[in-house]
Amino acid sequence: MGVTSLGTPVAPGPVQDKLLRSVTDELSDKGFVVAQLDKLVAWARTGSLWPMTFGLACCAVEMMHTACSRYDLDRFGIFFRPSPRQSDVMIVAGTLTNKMAPPLRKVYDQMAEPRWVLSMGSCANGGGYYHYSYSVVRGCDRIVPVDIYVPGCPPTAEALLYGILQLQKKIRRVSTITR
Amino acid sequence: MAEAKIKPMTINFGPQHPAAHGVLRLVMEMDGEVVERIDPHIGLLHRGTEKLIEYKTYLQAMPYFDRLDYVAPMAQEHAYVLGVEKLLGLEVPKRGQYIRVLFDEISRVLNHLLNVPAYAMDVGALTPMLWCFEQREYLMEFYERVSGARLHAAYYRPGGVHQDLPAGLLDDIMKWADQFPKIIDDLSSLLDENRIFKQRLVDIGVVTAEQALDWGFTGPMLRSSGVPWDLRKAQPYDAYAEMDFDIPIGKNGDCYDRYLVRMEELRQSLRIIRQCCEKMPSGPHVSRDFKVTPPPRGEMKRSMEALIHHFKLYTEGFHVPPGETYTAVEAPKGEFGVYLVSDGTNRPYRCKIRAPGFPHLQAIEFCSKGHMLADSVAILGSMDIVFGEVDR
Amino acid sequence: MSEALRELGNAIKAAHPGDIDEVDVRLGELMLVVKRDSIVRVLKHLRDDPSCLFKMLVDICGVDFPERAQRFDVVYNLLSLKHNRRIRVKVRANEAEPVPSVVSLFNAAGWYERETWDLYGVAFSDHPDLRRLLTDYGFDGHPLRKDFPLTGHVEVRYDEEQKRVVYDKVKLQQDFRSFDFLSPWEGMTRPLPGDEKAKH
Repeated sequence: MGVTSLGTPVAPGPVQDKLLRSVTDELSDKGFVVAQLDKLVAWARTGSLWPMTFGLACCAVEMMHTACSRYDLDRFGIFFRPSPRQSDVMIVAGTLTNKMAPPLRKVYDQMAEPRWVLSMGSCANGGGYYHYSYSVVRGCDRIVPVDIYVPGCPPTAEALLYGILQLQKKIRRVSTITR
Repeated sequence: MAEAKIKPMTINFGPQHPAAHGVLRLVMEMDGEVVERIDPHIGLLHRGTEKLIEYKTYLQAMPYFDRLDYVAPMAQEHAYVLGVEKLLGLEVPKRGQYIRVLFDEISRVLNHLLNVPAYAMDVGALTPMLWCFEQREYLMEFYERVSGARLHAAYYRPGGVHQDLPAGLLDDIMKWADQFPKIIDDLSSLLDENRIFKQRLVDIGVVTAEQALDWGFTGPMLRSSGVPWDLRKAQPYDAYAEMDFDIPIGKNGDCYDRYLVRMEELRQSLRIIRQCCEKMPSGPHVSRDFKVTPPPRGEMKRSMEALIHHFKLYTEGFHVPPGETYTAVEAPKGEFGVYLVSDGTNRPYRCKIRAPGFPHLQAIEFCSKGHMLADSVAILGSMDIVFGEVDR
Repeated sequence: MSEALRELGNAIKAAHPGDIDEVDVRLGELMLVVKRDSIVRVLKHLRDDPSCLFKMLVDICGVDFPERAQRFDVVYNLLSLKHNRRIRVKVRANEAEPVPSVVSLFNAAGWYERETWDLYGVAFSDHPDLRRLLTDYGFDGHPLRKDFPLTGHVEVRYDEEQKRVVYDKVKLQQDFRSFDFLSPWEGMTRPLPGDEKAKH
């Protein structure tokens, strides 16, 4: 015992109780538990993704809805931070314009590694409704590397939530200790 | 000791700042902590909406209006469809008018339910956000039920609305309206007499009635300065002439009065919503002029003419006779106007969008001069700025 | 309603002989066309005269008609709260000659004039701070002119080597699809091949 498959969450119930008891027993018997460090790190990272509040346009409203009462991101350990230096995820929520592109990149550069970018909505994915405009960046992946694209105009709060869960899955799959 | 001359310090605020309500950049010159000069840099969300509208047909251009003030989407659509209807000389059936008024007011509640708690959050209160967003979710469900989208509804059409109300919606809106007054009361009991809230807002950013007119203020910003001006009363459009409601006005024109005006507007909107639900007339929801509105599905399967109308409408669109009009509605933030120039083709020749937030934000320097840095955030919050409409 | 508006328009015209070229009431909206140099004088009258009292400047915007010599219209929308009336004042302009600024009359005009300068390139004389407002820092051209392409001239991307956001010439995967929907039955102005024979 000691090494559990941290990749797959165990549902609450007798199985989880047994697992947790075995870990605490091990801890009280020997004073330590053995786990795979990379999996532990990935688990810690997925359990506390701190996105940055970076609402650009319409999608910001849906992003706020995801964080507020009904969808409640807090239960996934996701908690909005106002500063790029404290956050792991940037949610590009809304239309990115030419004028805003340098500040966006600057904010991304200020984020500490490991960092992920979630592009939310058609405008951030590829310009969307404003694709042909003279002042809009045709996709925020021209400025920052994007991990997950969430489609929709705007994506519903559920869609964003699903995107974040996909991001967690991706982190579990590909995360290493150094990135 | 000789008095040292201190150079004013320049502070950059934004564009990524949680209290900037979007992508505002302020370059402030400070004397210690007192604001001396503000140079707002806007246009960080300038998407070229007006240019894009010139390249789309009248119907294709409609959804751009949702995306202007994305906190209360349908109110903007209303200004645009009224302008197109005026150019076309189109009559809207009574039911269509009532549905539009109903959803205008739902939009107003949506807007104030975002502005008030966001404002409270700017000055330090977190709870209102969670309470109000729960109610916003209910209202967005109503949006979803009529249009299929939670936020960007694209529901209004020249001539009425796209689809009739689904069965049971009015009952559910009434049910919502029954529980909503308690939320407003809870909110006011939390904020109205809150010591911190009042300390942050009372006597901050005072604007007199003369100044408000000079700076082009409209909506709650103008009314809080004591000017009883509301387009819903003064120049009633659609079914507003048949509604019974009051216009709240403030006395001092400070940030606190703006908050109080918005809270009272929530109550008045609720009155209008109830009246709309009770008096909702039957009949068609959209004009039967099939050059402009699509024919009913059933008719399209039988009548060749209806099929041609449908095909023409969704490829070429409709032609609008040459002319120009400035049409304005009372959006939740103030007077939202559309100046539409038509040259007789199926596309607008020019569509200028007059956003209420634009002149408000212009006055931020005038309002914040001589106040502390933290007060300028309170003033910004009281102006109810949304960058989608300011930058367009 | 439109009779009263026409009367008002004629009264304003009578008060400013030679300043106002045209008075028109269409769709129940009053419109004046004013000579460019008289705009400040006329707006002052509109603001202060007891029969007008258009105290609020609602909007200033430009409209571009490239085929005209004076290719721009600068449109002022005013509102009188006292009389519950609106008025639209137009000034013809071109790129070379500036329009007198009305910031001295209405503080609200400041940003509207900056915006019109930014989007159309209509200059305003005596404006305290005529800079670009909406477009990008260092933007070239005036985007809302009819001869400015919809997709503009430049686009941005992040350059890995220079470690900054750079501007490139615009390159589209697929051009904007613009269809000529003007059907031959209505609104067709272009002659079809063979039309000349029908005339004889």
